[in-house]
Amino acid sequence: MATPEGTTDSVPDHVPAHLVRSIGMLVSPEFLADPYEFFPRLHEDDNPPLFYDVNPVMGNTWMTIKHDIAFKALRDAEHMTTQTAGIFPRDPDHYFRLIPQELNPPIHRKFRNVLDPFLSPKAVMELERDIRALANQLIDGVIDRGACEFTEEFARPLPVTVFLRFMGLPLDMTETFVRWVVSLISFAERDKAIEIMSEIEEYLLSVIEEKRTNPDGAAISHIVHGRIDGEPLAERDIYGFVFFLFIAGIDTVYAALNNTWVWLARNPDRRAEMRADPDNIDAQAEELLRVFGVTFSGRVVTQDFEMNGVLLKAGDRFQSLLPSCNYDPAVWDNPREVRFDRPRKPILTFTGGIHACMGGHLARLEYKIALKEWLRRIPEFSLQPGCEITYRPSGVIGPDAVPLVW
Amino acid sequence: MVQVTYIAHDGTRETIEIANGENVMHGAVYNGVEGIIGECGGALACATCHCYVDEAWADKVGGPGSKAEEDMLESAAGEIKPTSRLSCQIIVRENLDGLVVRTPETQY
Repeated sequence: MATPEGTTDSVPDHVPAHLVRSIGMLVSPEFLADPYEFFPRLHEDDNPPLFYDVNPVMGNTWMTIKHDIAFKALRDAEHMTTQTAGIFPRDPDHYFRLIPQELNPPIHRKFRNVLDPFLSPKAVMELERDIRALANQLIDGVIDRGACEFTEEFARPLPVTVFLRFMGLPLDMTETFVRWVVSLISFAERDKAIEIMSEIEEYLLSVIEEKRTNPDGAAISHIVHGRIDGEPLAERDIYGFVFFLFIAGIDTVYAALNNTWVWLARNPDRRAEMRADPDNIDAQAEELLRVFGVTFSGRVVTQDFEMNGVLLKAGDRFQSLLPSCNYDPAVWDNPREVRFDRPRKPILTFTGGIHACMGGHLARLEYKIALKEWLRRIPEFSLQPGCEITYRPSGVIGPDAVPLVW
Repeated sequence: MVQVTYIAHDGTRETIEIANGENVMHGAVYNGVEGIIGECGGALACATCHCYVDEAWADKVGGPGSKAEEDMLESAAGEIKPTSRLSCQIIVRENLDGLVVRTPETQY
């Protein structure tokens, strides 16, 4: 386990006592009751812009909820690294880097260039028709029933199917893939991580071999046959690239959809407002992605330096609490309010800096299609009476289930 | 293919051939031109592909193509000028062959 359990005893000496907090990210009753009440509240509770958080599952780490400090940290490759910031246990004798996440400039950009052209706004637009057809097919499956468990029947199959097609992975393995990834990023199942890592590795290595002999024009094949400065990628780099995409692409969009649909189900007036203005879908989606960010972004400090008047030392961990940064009142007036006419500002949902999400265009496209098609066909819906929306400590934040009726 | 020249803050010039229909940000990022970062990849979400369209091309290229681009330009770190654009929103076509853009001192 790469993340040491945080306790107040293990706060290093250079951390001033007045900056130590224990906000309860992922673990407090307040977080577990409703993370999207928890994130904006952190600003209202008068936390320092940069503080040192003590947390039993995330470990001890510097933490910021401010948009400008997070942006600085995400963009500061000189003092901050993504290397070793990850939570995935790896065998030191057969190590692999998470690619491109754990690479630094300038090699980072060369790896990104292997796949970025297939994830550009223009490239993903080619997928629009298929995604829209799939969304409608999923809606066809539930519409006459008047009820569904949104996660299982829409939020998960939509992005996961699109992602597996993009990667060139078999759709009939969907359930296994989801189980692997959800367990791996769950802080409650850290003890299983090593076993799951090896199951994933055995499987993905067999796929990589298969694509080597049978190129198919999908992402894994592009990586296997990719070249950087004319040279093929090293074996462990191919694996690190494929593994990283696999982890990143499965559960993020469906968590965002789940969060959004809980809100939509509770806000009929806002649904009506969105339906009445379908051409404003870009602004609607961007605003909802602002308030329902699903993940956070860790770094490790590489050399002593001062940030915001605070001394950070080499080896310190640093966490940008992105879903909270998106509620920074210095950037968005009345940040809790969902408003579809806000001036566009950089949201941190897809992080920032050179490691900003590669799949962000695909995610945005899926999200917009999901909103538009669902609201068009099932405009009236609510949470199943009496149901409880529950969350668990995970690297990707969203409810476990969203039972809907209409 | 269409030729686009990028002039860095220090005067360094690089001329890149870009496929018709591709954007000026990608032309830089995929070809190692350093003055443009484009960290969000063209989602109008970061303002790190800010450029100044050369005066001689300003009319042909035009101003910001949308309210979203206009808003996002305000978040750019470098000085905003009348010819400022986000280069991810400039799509190159034959009529922009020979386009010259300047990159700001900083994108952060």
